[in-house]
Amino acid sequence: MSVITVENIYKSFGQTQAVRDVSFQVERGRIFGLLGPNGAGKTTTIRMINYILIPDHGSITVNGIPVGPKTQLLIGYLPEERGLYKKMKVGEQLLYLGRLKGLSSSEARKRIRYWLDRFGASDWLQKEVGELSKGMSQKIQFIATILHDPDICIFDEPFSGLDPINSELLKDIILELRDRGKVIFFATHRMEQVEQMCEDICLFNNGRVVLSGNLRKIKSDFGENTVLLEFDGDSSFLDSLKGVRINNRSTNFAEIRILDETNPQSILRQAVEVTNVHRFETVEPSLTEIFISTVGTDNINSAKPGLT
Amino acid sequence: MNWNKILIVVQREYLTRVRTKVFIISTLLIPLGLIAYIGLIIGLQFWESEPEHTIGIHDQSEVIIPRLLSRDSNRYLDMSGYPVSDLRDQLLNGEINGYITLRDEHITGNIDLEYIYTGSSTVTLQSSIRSDLREAIREERLARAGVSEDVRAIFESGITLESRKVTESGAEEEDQTAFYTALGFIMGLMIFIALFMYGTIIMKGVIEEKSNRIVEVIASSIRPVELLVGKILGITGVALTQFAVWFLFSTGILFAAGPVMMMFGGDAVQESIAAETGGAAVAFEIPAIDPFLIAGFFILFILGYFIYSSLFAMVGSTVDSEADTQQMMMPIMLLIVIAWIINVEVMQNPNSTISVVSSLIPFFAPITMVTRIAINPVPVWQLLLSFFLMAGTIYGTLWFSARIYRVGILQYGKKAGFKDLLKWLRQG
Repeated sequence: MSVITVENIYKSFGQTQAVRDVSFQVERGRIFGLLGPNGAGKTTTIRMINYILIPDHGSITVNGIPVGPKTQLLIGYLPEERGLYKKMKVGEQLLYLGRLKGLSSSEARKRIRYWLDRFGASDWLQKEVGELSKGMSQKIQFIATILHDPDICIFDEPFSGLDPINSELLKDIILELRDRGKVIFFATHRMEQVEQMCEDICLFNNGRVVLSGNLRKIKSDFGENTVLLEFDGDSSFLDSLKGVRINNRSTNFAEIRILDETNPQSILRQAVEVTNVHRFETVEPSLTEIFISTVGTDNINSAKPGLT
Repeated sequence: MNWNKILIVVQREYLTRVRTKVFIISTLLIPLGLIAYIGLIIGLQFWESEPEHTIGIHDQSEVIIPRLLSRDSNRYLDMSGYPVSDLRDQLLNGEINGYITLRDEHITGNIDLEYIYTGSSTVTLQSSIRSDLREAIREERLARAGVSEDVRAIFESGITLESRKVTESGAEEEDQTAFYTALGFIMGLMIFIALFMYGTIIMKGVIEEKSNRIVEVIASSIRPVELLVGKILGITGVALTQFAVWFLFSTGILFAAGPVMMMFGGDAVQESIAAETGGAAVAFEIPAIDPFLIAGFFILFILGYFIYSSLFAMVGSTVDSEADTQQMMMPIMLLIVIAWIINVEVMQNPNSTISVVSSLIPFFAPITMVTRIAINPVPVWQLLLSFFLMAGTIYGTLWFSARIYRVGILQYGKKAGFKDLLKWLRQG
C-alpha cells in the first residue's frame, strides 16, 4: 500500500520549470531514495509533499488525503539547509517545534527527555543552541524532526556535514524507524551514500523522473557488465579500450562499464600486458553509472542554485 | 487559520523577547531616566534661578518705549521723564538693574546702543534685551517707511518668538490647550517611534528565522500567514507590555514630580519645563487625562502597528541580512516620516482640512489622529471612519505581505528588487 502518491505534478518559478510531470509512489516500511544532481527538482518536490509549496498541476496524497495542514502532522521533515534559533535553549526549542507539530506540552517534554538520553545529550536541555557545536546542533535538528513520531520521515541530504560516527548513529536510528513501520524518504545527490540503504529509488534529472522502481531490480536489469580493476603501472591502456565508459578513474583504479558485447576477459588480458593487476571483478553497475547511462553524459543538468 | 498554532507562535515571540535582559533593562531604565532628567531640571533651576531684572529706558524719541513696554512691561521701565543722571543714581542705589538711553538717531541711523548695568548679567538676558530692542526699532523703522500692513505682517510672523508664562490663577483654558497640545505631540511622537522600533524588531525576527534556516521546518508545520500573524501579535504584546509599564511609571512620576517641583523651584521650573516642551507651558496641576484618550492611543497604536508590521515583515522576508533592507525600507519609512511632517500642521490646526484628511488616511492616521484627539474632541464619525479604514488596510497589507512573505522566506542568495515582488505576488 502506498503512503505517498505523487501524480503528474508540475511546478514552475517564472520561466524556470522546476518539476515537470513527476509521478511516483512511496511504500510503507521501506526506504525510498529520491536521487539526482543538484537542481534536478528534488527539494521542490519535497517541499510540495510537505505542503510548503503547492504544485501548479497534479496531485499529492498522503495516506489517501490530499496534502494540507493535516498531512503536515504526519510528516517529519529535515531540510537540507537547516538551523535553529541560536538564542533559544535546546529544551524550549524542541518543545516549540514539537507543539507546532501537534504535541501537547507534557507529551513533548517526555519525548524530549527520551531522545536527549538516546543521544547522550541530557545535559544540553538548558543550553542555548548558540553554544552547541555543529554536530551537536545537527543531532538536535534530527530530534526535532522525529519528536512527534511521524509516520513519514523526510530527510534531505541527511548525512551532509556529519562525521562518520554520527553518520553511523543516524543510520542506525533511521533503520530502527524503518523497522517500526515508518516510511523513510531520502533525497540526496550523493548516490553512493544511500545506495546501501534504499530499497526503492526515483531518479530525477532536469525536473523529470528518468528512472524509478525497486533498486535491486533496476540493477539486475542493467546486468553484471561493469568491471572493477585495481592495478599497478601505466594506466594509459585504458584510453585505448573501445566500447566502454570509464568512471571513477584514478592512478590505480578504474570502474569500467562495458557498453557493447565486449568480453570482460579481453579487458583483463590488455591490463595484464602492461600492469600488475591486483583485483579484477565483474559487478552490477553503480547507481551513478546507471544514472549516467540513463540520461546520457551531456544531459546531466548543472547546478541551479535556488532550486535544490 | 489555525489559532491554536498561532497562539504557540505568539507565546514564543512574546516570551523570548520579554525575558531578554535588553527588554527588562530598557523597560525599567527609561522611566528611571525620566526621573533623573526631571531631577536634573529641578536641580539646575534651583541653583540658577535669577531675580527679575528691571531696566530703565530713557527714550527721547518717545516712540520706542511703548513698543518695548508692549513686549515686557515688567522688565522695561519708562524713565524718559527723568534726566539721565537720575538713572545713574537709581542704578547705583539698586532701584534698577540697568538702563539704556535712546534717541531719534537710533532709529534713523545705525548707531550702537549702550546697556549700562550693575551686578550680574547673563548672556541670555543680554541677548533677550538685544532682540527686544532690535525688533522694536525695526518695527518703528518699518512704520516710518510707510511699508504696507501686509509686509509688516510678514515681518512680524517671521520674528515673533513668544514664551508665555503661566500664572497660577491665570487663564485656565489657555493653559490646558497648551498642555493637551504637548500631550498630543508626545503621544504622536511615541507612536512614530514605536512604529519604527517594533517594526524593526519584527523585521529582524523574520530575517533571523530566514538566515538561520529554521523557517523551512516551521513552514512544514504551519502556514506562512499563520507564522506571520503569530509574530505580529506576539510583538504587539511585547510593545503593549512595555507601554503599560512606561505609562504607569510616568503617570506616577508626573503626579509625584509636580508637588516636589513646586516645593523647590516654583516659577522658574515651570518656565524651564515650558521651554523643554517646545514653548508649550505646562501647569503642574496636571489636567486629568481622559481615559478615552488613553484608550484611543492604544487602539491607534495597535491598528497602526498591524498595518506597518506586516510591511516590515515583508521587507524582512525579501532579504538575507539586515544590511540589504535599505531599498525596500525606503517607501515604508517615507510613509511614516510624511505622517510625522503632517503632524506638525495637525498640532497647530487640529481641525484644518489637511488634519482631518490625514487622520482618515490609514497610513498617517495612527500619528495624526492621536494628536487630534489629544488636543480637542474629534467627531465620532471621523474616529469610527478612521478605525474602519485602518482595519480594511490591515487586511490589505496582511494579504499583500503574506503572499510575498511565503515566497520570500524560501528564497536565498539573490537580492530581490521591486520587480521580484510583483513576480512573487503572482506566484504566492
